[in-house]
Amino acid sequence: MADRRRVNGPAGGTAPPVYAQQAAGFQNTRRSRMRGPNQIRKLFLKTGLTPSASGSAYLEFEPSLGQNGVPGRLSDRPSALKLTCTVHGPRPLPRSAPFTPQLLLSAHIKYAPFASRQRKGYVRDANERDLAVHLESALRGVLIGERWPKSGVDVVITVLEGEEDCLEDEPFASTDSEYSRSKGLGMMSVLSGCITVASAAIVDAGIDCVDFVIGGVAAVARPPLTNKQKAKSRVKSDYAESIWQILMDPSPAEHEDLDAFCVVGYLQSRDEVTELWVKGNTPNKGDSQDQEETVLDVLTDRAVEAAIAARHVVVEAFKESNKFRIQSHSPDQG
Amino acid sequence: MAIKPASGPTPLGASTSATSPSPSTHTLSFPAQTFAKLAPIPFLHAHLTSSTGARRPSGRTPSESRPPNIHTGSLTHTSGSAVVRIGDTAVVCGIRGEILLTKDVADWKHPEISSIPQEENDGTRRKRRKTEADEIARLNLLVPNVELSTGCSPAHLPGSPPSDLAQTLSHRVLTLLHTSQLLEAAELRIWHHPSSSSSSSILKPQITEPLSTSSNPNNPTITTVEGFEGGGTGDTDGALVAKPQIKAYWTLHITLLFLSLDGNPFDAAWCALLAALLDVRLPRAWWDADLENVLCSPLVSESTRFSLNGLPVPLTVGVFSREDEQGIGGETEKKRAKWCLVDMDGFEEGCVRETVCLVVKGEGDSAEIVRIEKGGGGLFGRGEMRELVGAAGRRWREWKALLDGIRGDGSGDTDMG
Repeated sequence: MADRRRVNGPAGGTAPPVYAQQAAGFQNTRRSRMRGPNQIRKLFLKTGLTPSASGSAYLEFEPSLGQNGVPGRLSDRPSALKLTCTVHGPRPLPRSAPFTPQLLLSAHIKYAPFASRQRKGYVRDANERDLAVHLESALRGVLIGERWPKSGVDVVITVLEGEEDCLEDEPFASTDSEYSRSKGLGMMSVLSGCITVASAAIVDAGIDCVDFVIGGVAAVARPPLTNKQKAKSRVKSDYAESIWQILMDPSPAEHEDLDAFCVVGYLQSRDEVTELWVKGNTPNKGDSQDQEETVLDVLTDRAVEAAIAARHVVVEAFKESNKFRIQSHSPDQG
Repeated sequence: MAIKPASGPTPLGASTSATSPSPSTHTLSFPAQTFAKLAPIPFLHAHLTSSTGARRPSGRTPSESRPPNIHTGSLTHTSGSAVVRIGDTAVVCGIRGEILLTKDVADWKHPEISSIPQEENDGTRRKRRKTEADEIARLNLLVPNVELSTGCSPAHLPGSPPSDLAQTLSHRVLTLLHTSQLLEAAELRIWHHPSSSSSSSILKPQITEPLSTSSNPNNPTITTVEGFEGGGTGDTDGALVAKPQIKAYWTLHITLLFLSLDGNPFDAAWCALLAALLDVRLPRAWWDADLENVLCSPLVSESTRFSLNGLPVPLTVGVFSREDEQGIGGETEKKRAKWCLVDMDGFEEGCVRETVCLVVKGEGDSAEIVRIEKGGGGLFGRGEMRELVGAAGRRWREWKALLDGIRGDGSGDTDMG
């Protein structure tokens, strides 16, 4: 526990503040989704923020400012994904490393201690390692690794602000099935952001790639049920008939009834998917297996569409930074 | 840029004279970066002794520091946050207030707090500050950690324990927080007033207290004290009143993440910390006797900000020196020239052994030296120190203008992205 290399807090441990909700006279409500089901959140991407690294990028999502955001409160402020990524390399591997004919990629993802509502530690946890493995597999397919034998590249992502699975005041580790269903969505959006930002940083570093690999998320959602429907839907077969819809780029703060979500890493120019991760149950429209597959297909297609939409931003960011680079270099050459 | 004409002839002459017998200065030409990599010290020396006046490779004069830039309040899950950039060094500071219950503190003794006299003279204030700083240090209420393994520079890659630099930086920040007595323990205490405990779960009588006193928000210390004294005297009628107790403390978990590192990490980290401290809003907190826990009010209007004990601002200077072995013209007198480089970048830090860090509050005659750190050599003398105090004062004014702007522009909800 006591890490001698860091400054440790009080030995007895500290607890995050507990807000008095009822006393304040209003309740936290979920922000509702204001954009259409096929619309993704606005994103901001900038490359070249860390000059000492070979390549770097910063990505930020627009915070979900629904109609229910309450101003003047400390506890319920809209959060948005904020990621920085640096790429170091390609550089020679140490002499002790065994021979590799390809570029050796290693990815690190770390949440900042203030990235989520619960304070994170300084040492990577299992979730962060899991994300890094997914990111590695998404990126490995785009790098043209044969051009750098015996060398390695490090992709380091710091999550300055993550996405939450649940609202501020909901119990964090609750076993309530009602919302544990949409648990894990935060991690999916983070992965999708990581794929996009890492790809931008790799291109900024000038490492040869097949294409940009862009992350996209989609989810199967059910519209909020009325009480009557809720009572009925306890029976499993009824649930099958309830209407579901597929949302692109869902924000965890906006939805509670999500059944399944899917994240892809997509290369548009080759129409390839380098990473596919699906969680949850896709609704079953009938008894036949075929139809279940189609829901999954639609879900994946929507995730790909979300990736295509995000790609425009990445391409524009690069055009901008290249223009800037050319302008700043031309007087030197002339 | 200015690099080419300044660097061209001299480093080339210096390096070729060592390797080849015929120094033909203008036939061979490498870009400036190549010289900087191959022979950093002669490269820097050539810049500083250039005929057009001493300029550093970045184009600054030796006494010129990089202009800082602050952005606060962009992180959601923090009580206060700031991003500070100095040149290519960028630091994010996030502060989270968490609650330490006094029952969790081993052998905790309630501090003896005499009610603060309305007119405090300098002596008593200094004494109170001292005891309060001791209280903060004893309870470990300030927990700063510097994180360099964010890929901020190729020298600090993740996957290993914090480097020596990260450890020393954390420690220097911590000691400066304590020795500068920046925060008062009074602002971190969470009180329990037994007299009003019966009504603590209902907000109404509680809410009136801070609202009535919040008319003078410039001094939250007095607000707290008045709050408890007023509560005590207001409810005294009849019943015997137990003394107010400290039930908990705010603990500040301070994380300093370097996004990009290009020299002068301590100045950047400390100023990010200052900016974030100015941005902090701690919710009003009270002890709920029924829940046996501390509850906080979610209203921004009831939250408090810290009244910092001045704004101590550091200035780090490196002393670069080089013996002129043989001047180019052949004068063989051994001369040791030195230059004080203010606010060094990463390249200059690699060429410099002696560094001095001065922390000051105020400037000119009213300047107060908070701390002096010096190491690595004996070239930095009394005269240089006097100059440095002046430079640090100017730097302090520059930072103060920026830091004052943090609270100037209102609620801080305005800036996103």
